[in-house]
Amino acid sequence: MGNLIPWDFSVIPLKFHLFVQAAGYTIFISFFGILAGTVSGLFVSLMKISKNKVVSGIASVYIFVIRGTPLLLQLFIIYYGLIALVAIPPLLSAIIALGFHNGAYIAEIFRGSIQSIHYGQMEAALSLGMTKPKAMVRIILPQAFKRAVPPLGNQFIIALKDSSLASTIAVPELLLRGRQMGASSFQYMEMLIIVAVWYLLMTGVFSVIIHRIEKKLKVSDREQ
Amino acid sequence: MNNSEITSTPILSMQKINKWFGPLHVLHDVTMNVHEGEVVVIIGASGSGKSTFLRCINFLEEAERGTIVYKGKPILKNRNLTAIRKEIGMVFQHFNLFPHMTVLHNVMEGPVHTKRMPSHEAETLALSLLEKVGLSDKADVYPSTLSGGQKQRVAIARALAMQPSVMLFDEPTSALDPELVGEVVSVMKDLANEGMTMIVVTHEMWFAKEAADRVVFMDEGRIVEEASPDKMFSEPENERTQQFLKQILNN
Repeated sequence: MGNLIPWDFSVIPLKFHLFVQAAGYTIFISFFGILAGTVSGLFVSLMKISKNKVVSGIASVYIFVIRGTPLLLQLFIIYYGLIALVAIPPLLSAIIALGFHNGAYIAEIFRGSIQSIHYGQMEAALSLGMTKPKAMVRIILPQAFKRAVPPLGNQFIIALKDSSLASTIAVPELLLRGRQMGASSFQYMEMLIIVAVWYLLMTGVFSVIIHRIEKKLKVSDREQ
Repeated sequence: MNNSEITSTPILSMQKINKWFGPLHVLHDVTMNVHEGEVVVIIGASGSGKSTFLRCINFLEEAERGTIVYKGKPILKNRNLTAIRKEIGMVFQHFNLFPHMTVLHNVMEGPVHTKRMPSHEAETLALSLLEKVGLSDKADVYPSTLSGGQKQRVAIARALAMQPSVMLFDEPTSALDPELVGEVVSVMKDLANEGMTMIVVTHEMWFAKEAADRVVFMDEGRIVEEASPDKMFSEPENERTQQFLKQILNN
């Protein structure tokens, strides 16, 4: 048994504002990362189901590359690797990396949910004289989004946790702050536990929101 | 106007339609002319190509060979197809109502979003059509709460909301419980009596008997026999027709 240093959470109130600030960074990165990921994911999913082989091929390559390499590596490529071409600040690098990364996963989520809509829906829309893009927007996507909500919620929670990788490029988000404060006070465990609580708080609130949305969207599915 | 049936140009003319599913040749030179106000019922065993043929008319299936002429103009996929689809209504076996919209919005969807009809106008039209199919009280519910028969009547109203010149029915009662068939067929009969041009693929022989001007029997991707319902059901000429009708009418 080594020296046991008793845990001491008494300093927490003094550092509270620092954690709030760090959580702000985490939320900021996650929010914009997820937003970019959702927009690009929708775009890529539509490309992937395109009948044009070149267009769907580009989407497939994107998904293959992004899904097949670690997010941390992607982050380093954007932050360190591109520095010769363009210096992207850490915060923006983190958002871009998270956006690209989630774009690939979210594209697959959307593709799955779009293709799960019965082809009869498209046929009914076409038979009313809609163009395919219009039928997509009016008929297919609203139904597909609904089915995408549970897996999207899951992906968003993963993205929120993945934002912690930004700590490796000096974005002062939760994990980096926790480690720094642990190092300076030697209260590693306390600080890391606080970080964990913050993450749980954020993912917990998020789960509740997703659940609410799911329930609300169920209205039109209600059985007799 | 004597012989108008013969001399007038058909509203729809399907000429030598050929369709393959992979190596399977499912439609062989199917030719059919339909005149305005005519009700044509297509019968045949499953797999005879009757649904595929119907779906070729508005290009839900693309025929590899053959021409479809609507009001004197050939339908071309990249030219006038979308416009012509607005004039050819379709009712599906599985209804294909839009589950994320209320009944009223299902019916309004076509006119508002493909014909740019103002919303209030479309609503008035939709409500009158729902009344016509006996579902005024269901305007504000979602399709999932309806019975099969009610769903199909909404689907008919949805197609009618486009104010089509021709209506295609693809086995509209095949997915219904037997006790719900009557309500759908009676709506279809009303339509036929009002002079709607209709092409109906169905197994409901009594609809064919009572409403059809012409019954077409298809077998193995070909039109084998074509006759008035009286003649078709009392003295069919072709052997396959006789067999088929015997089987169907015995049930």
